[in-house]
Amino acid sequence: MKRPLFLIVALLSGALPLGAQAADIDYDPTRPQALRPCDDARQRGRDADALRCYERLAQNADPLVRAEALWGRGDLSGANTAFREANSGSRASVRGLVRWGRLFLEAHQYSEAQSTLEDALEQSAEDPQAQIATARLLAERFNPGAKDLLDAVLKKDDTLIEAHLLRGRLALESGKREEAVSDAERALALSQQQKVAPLEAQTLLGAIEVFGGRDPKRWLDEAQRYNPRYGRIHAELAHFELMRRKYREANVWLLRAVELQPTLWSAHEELGVNFLRLGDRAKAREHLVKAYEGDPFSATTVNTLRLLDSLEQYDVRRVGTPALVMQLHRSETAALAPYVEDIGKRSIALFSERYGWRPSDDIFVELYPDHDDFAVRTAGLPGIGLLGVTFGHVVAMDSPSARSGGDFHWGSTLWHEMAHVFTLSATGHRVPRWLSEGISVFEEWRTGPTPGVSLSPEPLQKFAEGKFLPVADLDEGFIRPDYPNQVQVSYVQAGLTCLFIETRWGFPTLAKLLKQFERDTTTAAAVQAATGLAPAAFDTEFQAFLKQRFAAFLAAPDKYVQLMREAGRAYEAKDFAKAAEASGEAVKLLPEFTEGASGWLLQARAQLDAKDDAGALTTLTGWRTAGGWQPDATRKLATLLDDAKRGPEALVVLESLNYSDPLRAAGHRELGERLLTAGRGAEAEREFRVLLAVDPADTATAQFGLARTSRQGGRDAEARRHVLQALEVAPSFRPAQKLLLELTKDSAP
Amino acid sequence: MRRAIAAGFALTLLSVASQAATQAIVLSGLGGDPDYDHRFAEWNASATKALQQLAGEANVVSLSGSRATAEALQKAVQQLSQKQQREDTVVVLLIGHGTWFGDEYRFNLAGPDLTGAQLKALFDRLPAERQLVVNASSASGAVAEAWKRPGRIVVTATKTGGERNATRFPQHFVEALSSDKADRDKDQVVTAAEAFAYASGAVAEAFKADASMVTEHSRLEGGDAARLVVARFGNAARNADDPQLNALQTRQQAFEQELATLKSRKGSIPEDAYYTSLEPVLLNIARLGDEREAREKQLGLTPTGGTP
Repeated sequence: MKRPLFLIVALLSGALPLGAQAADIDYDPTRPQALRPCDDARQRGRDADALRCYERLAQNADPLVRAEALWGRGDLSGANTAFREANSGSRASVRGLVRWGRLFLEAHQYSEAQSTLEDALEQSAEDPQAQIATARLLAERFNPGAKDLLDAVLKKDDTLIEAHLLRGRLALESGKREEAVSDAERALALSQQQKVAPLEAQTLLGAIEVFGGRDPKRWLDEAQRYNPRYGRIHAELAHFELMRRKYREANVWLLRAVELQPTLWSAHEELGVNFLRLGDRAKAREHLVKAYEGDPFSATTVNTLRLLDSLEQYDVRRVGTPALVMQLHRSETAALAPYVEDIGKRSIALFSERYGWRPSDDIFVELYPDHDDFAVRTAGLPGIGLLGVTFGHVVAMDSPSARSGGDFHWGSTLWHEMAHVFTLSATGHRVPRWLSEGISVFEEWRTGPTPGVSLSPEPLQKFAEGKFLPVADLDEGFIRPDYPNQVQVSYVQAGLTCLFIETRWGFPTLAKLLKQFERDTTTAAAVQAATGLAPAAFDTEFQAFLKQRFAAFLAAPDKYVQLMREAGRAYEAKDFAKAAEASGEAVKLLPEFTEGASGWLLQARAQLDAKDDAGALTTLTGWRTAGGWQPDATRKLATLLDDAKRGPEALVVLESLNYSDPLRAAGHRELGERLLTAGRGAEAEREFRVLLAVDPADTATAQFGLARTSRQGGRDAEARRHVLQALEVAPSFRPAQKLLLELTKDSAP
Repeated sequence: MRRAIAAGFALTLLSVASQAATQAIVLSGLGGDPDYDHRFAEWNASATKALQQLAGEANVVSLSGSRATAEALQKAVQQLSQKQQREDTVVVLLIGHGTWFGDEYRFNLAGPDLTGAQLKALFDRLPAERQLVVNASSASGAVAEAWKRPGRIVVTATKTGGERNATRFPQHFVEALSSDKADRDKDQVVTAAEAFAYASGAVAEAFKADASMVTEHSRLEGGDAARLVVARFGNAARNADDPQLNALQTRQQAFEQELATLKSRKGSIPEDAYYTSLEPVLLNIARLGDEREAREKQLGLTPTGGTP
């Protein structure tokens, strides 16, 4: 295959400071002996010696030695050229390709790394170093298969240090402490036997201590004795704090890391991203700039710096004490702030009561109209599929304008994220991922803007296939999914688990389960303590609950799809009665499915086409009660309610659109009028103010609405100003003229 | 010849050509598939109906689908030019697909297409000095500059010829003609400027709602778009030669000129003082509104005026 002549962005003429892009420890016993003294100096923290040593080898006749030496002194571009030479034509060797692949990995060029390692494996499928490097690539990209590969490698040779280290790290990330300890201790023993630096084994052992809430001092001291300037151990400890969403704690380690090793650019980058998570833009920029100066290869650094620039376009509004701080794009502040504030305040009040924890710090809510800005904000990289993310007291999410109308219910997303603020904070971030997500999903269903247990057929199909995880292992489904969509399935499983607890024992038991995580514990112990059931028994009862709750669907998991196909064919053939009947049967199997492709909406459409408005009204009413919210169908429901002379219900339905489709001017205009008629002046005023923001071309309507709401509230001076503002742009606006005459006690001569 | 007399009660600035007529041509080309054929025909029908209400049935030529040929358009222009006067106003609306390959714009018709240059030559033959030519086709921006001339307002759905996707603009421009949605100053009259602003805004909102890439940016070239009427509603749409109403209209014109003067000072005086200065003028206009309403009752006209 063709590989780039240059590393991306890496057209650097000179070398980077040592440590900037220096390779991790190369445990391959076949590493050229000439490099050993240089490696030893580096691993002992004698950077100047190491640099001189690598410099001497940078002109070595062997291109592989030359490549490693150039890499060792931070010249990735030179190393790339040397690796190219080393691997040209018949000279390509497995070792050369593996190390070249590692270089690409170091430079964040993952596709190049993958293809290079594939070439290595093509030469020797069983080469352990190629397999370990591949496992590292898989792990870094959060792809499945790394652990299986490492198991296979270690089965053949149990003395491979890096394989133990990597497998131990994966085990720790999955919360399997005992497995992590076993691998870490083995790696440490092997390091001593093979006389290589023990630093990475000590790092993993330190991380295990941090993960268990214990002091890692012993390992920090031992690592420091070996290398007084080894900052990586602190950066690694920070990684595991971040995994547990302990952002403030992570920064303590990261700052120590860069204090010991100022050229540890990855730690500066992490500090930059993490300070941004914590809402400190100035410090975020400071560290990101340092990271960029040292490592211009990182897309995360570059993207996050760009995001910081774009944040200048955002307004910040604070309400209450402690404050709900809303960061909204300047173009959307006026249109969205009232609804963000409403959801924020309501969720804080409700969750404080339900979970017995009250925020003492400000809570930040950030909405991004550009999804890629949100993605960079949360992950440092564009392209993630998430809608919202919570970092402790900071919620970041897509703005309604980031996606097409009907793509997501932004109000429910914010409700979901606000629940995370509580579950994370109430437990000092100890809550496992599954329970935090489960409670957020559960709260969407129970107390959110669109109440109703809403789920698609897929999770239940996976349950029927036996793919639901035991509760004790449910975090695995989020962290290292084994099949496509497992993360989404795990969200639903977690939500259903909370629903089961509430149904079986009552809500206080769910709150009690969360409370278990105020101290370090495991899911298994917490479940036992809160419910009195051992995890296995809990799983058995949970399964029985699901089988009963979704009996109609589970009796024939494929039938829903079959019925919908039948309904679709009938609809295409304009046999609306049959389409309505078949889709109605599907609804009976799983009324909880309310999305666009659900039976509810096809049934309603078929009924409308058959001129059966009464039937469609019944269907859409049922759909909404079940949790349906798609804007077009909601608007249709409001029209049908109006036609049926059920105006007050139509008003409630139209109000709900503010949380799914808030940027549509016509909706605010209509809602403002209806609220005014209903005597709800304050809410009408909110709608007219939003109308003014979303439709600046029609200020007359909005100002006239504001004049009437002021008038209704007895604020005649305000009303007079608003009516003048309406007539200023529309002097012939007759209703406004009449109000002006009324307000000035004037009348026609 | 039957002429539609402009009889607006509101902004008399709009009725400069009060004894002049308005004529219109609505042309919708080939859709290329049944869906677009249907849409183009539907928009043509709505626009035709709206313009007939403004200008009178006999003054509107509608060519759609297979009837929309180069020859038919040439004939329509010829017929209109025979009865048209210099002081008249002509509105031309082109709905359909346009193409542009870097040098030449073409509007897709049944039979031979017409190029941008050929269309311009046809419009130049129309005697009316006040012209509104709306090319709502894809790639229409290619002709925005070339079709300009004194007295002519050119509206295109796209900024350049390079914006080649089928356009959303015509749907919303036709909405602006057919309802009072575009009447932002609530005078029951929609001007070319209001229709353009409404359609452009609606296109932007539609792309935003879909979160899709904006593939068209409309343009308006030429002046006085705020004085060229494209639709009237309510009593503004009715003929009335009542001297009292016309007198009221004249008085309102004077107040509106006074209002315009005051508005030009906005920003240069304190806000409170500004609105205090506006109030007596707006009250005078409001009182005229009362008088007009009373007179309309006497005439048996149902008082109307602005939403809601």
